Amino acid sequence: MEHEDILNIRNLSVRLDGTQLFRGVSLAVNVGEKITITGLSGSGKSTLLRCVLGFVPFQGEILIAGTPLNARTVWQLRRQLAYVAQEPELGDGTVQALLARPFSYKANQGLAYGREEVDQLFEHFRLPLPLLHKDITSLSGGEKQRVALIGALLLRRPLLLLDEAASALDGEAKKQVRAYLSSREDLAIVSVSHDVRDFVFNGGVYHLPDLATGDS
Amino acid sequence: MGASDISYWQLALGYGLLIFPMAVFLWHGVPLLGDTFMGVLRMTVQLLFIGFYLQYVFRWNNPWLNIGWIAVMVLVADASIVRGCGLRARIFLLPLSLSLLMGVLAPLLIFVLVIIRPDPLFDARYVIPIAGMILGNCLRADIVGIRGFYESLHKREKAYLHALASGARLHEAAQPFLRDALRDALAPTIATMATMGVVSLPGMMTGVILGGSDPATAIKYQIAIMLAIFSGTAITVTAAIYLTLHGSFTPYGVLKREIFARIEK
Repeated sequence: MEHEDILNIRNLSVRLDGTQLFRGVSLAVNVGEKITITGLSGSGKSTLLRCVLGFVPFQGEILIAGTPLNARTVWQLRRQLAYVAQEPELGDGTVQALLARPFSYKANQGLAYGREEVDQLFEHFRLPLPLLHKDITSLSGGEKQRVALIGALLLRRPLLLLDEAASALDGEAKKQVRAYLSSREDLAIVSVSHDVRDFVFNGGVYHLPDLATGDS
Repeated sequence: MGASDISYWQLALGYGLLIFPMAVFLWHGVPLLGDTFMGVLRMTVQLLFIGFYLQYVFRWNNPWLNIGWIAVMVLVADASIVRGCGLRARIFLLPLSLSLLMGVLAPLLIFVLVIIRPDPLFDARYVIPIAGMILGNCLRADIVGIRGFYESLHKREKAYLHALASGARLHEAAQPFLRDALRDALAPTIATMATMGVVSLPGMMTGVILGGSDPATAIKYQIAIMLAIFSGTAITVTAAIYLTLHGSFTPYGVLKREIFARIEK
């Protein structure tokens, strides 16, 4: 049923700098469903996620929780989403300050930065708590990825968009992150990755070109 | 009593001072000879023109002419900022002119109407040099502030987009970049104020003393002009960023590539 879709992409086409990245992509993600999208580097996996965030111009239709994404609705709809970019950059400052910053935004007024929840997530993702007081620039790639994930989870959004979000994690850390995310039944996930051998969720695994219904 | 005049012959001898930097450039192969020549030539031509023009501005002392001249100065400064920042004139000329006008007029009016109150009120001898000093500093601060703001947004777009993805409105996501741009644009004026009179003898004070006034009067002018410059630069840079925000982002909050006249790959 359509109203159960947290994300519904219909006939999506993207052309960037004169190059057709993909054409006629359709995809539906139910509430709580966790899917993985694969494809070669440069096939447009990251761009697909960036379309959902309203960062890239597209043709076709994207519905988030039943509302079509456009210039008017995007500001409201981003409150349904959390995003972890490939090699995330969260800004300047200590880890704690960066995790707390989104709670100062007007759109997140109803949320509170809960230190207990932070402590729990740090434990789940095997990050030492003193890391909170370190400058973000002093963190390793894997630490940064986990901090970005924690930041995204703290926002309590129903849909999490992950762009190669475990690429810098070692095998054990990947397992822990995957296990934790899989246990969150309230959370829908769209994870894109060019290598899904050890970071794949229970939902569908789609090859991006196979999602295209057009003639690409 | 004013400053004693310098004859054109004496001034020509003054150009002899260029021997020292030129010798250094030649000796060390510093590639600045052409730039120096053009810089000195432009300074000379521009100042000859302004000197000639200001003689008439001061003689006629017409408030409308004075305002018109300030408008011309603002437009020239505006074009110079847009060019200096590598930004698209079509998008930036108008909002930057408005921000310069705000940054120059607000402190200028307070300076003239409240602090010195000359008679006539818009006396060219006061209005034009004071506006020029404020504007010159606004121009410098605007280039640093606007270029810093948009370049760092471009270079660190991932951090900006991360904020948008976390629910930030445009002005919330741009806030850290605005803060850094204002700091970089205003810090030099603060540093100048902090060392004033110790490291450098300021231009306006020197001018007032050369014009025959008491040093006690000169320092009052200098303090007032520094305060006017500082508030003018703060107004200009803040207004410039806020007034250009609307045209520089897509309705989705993403920085438009076409704001840069030269797009870096």
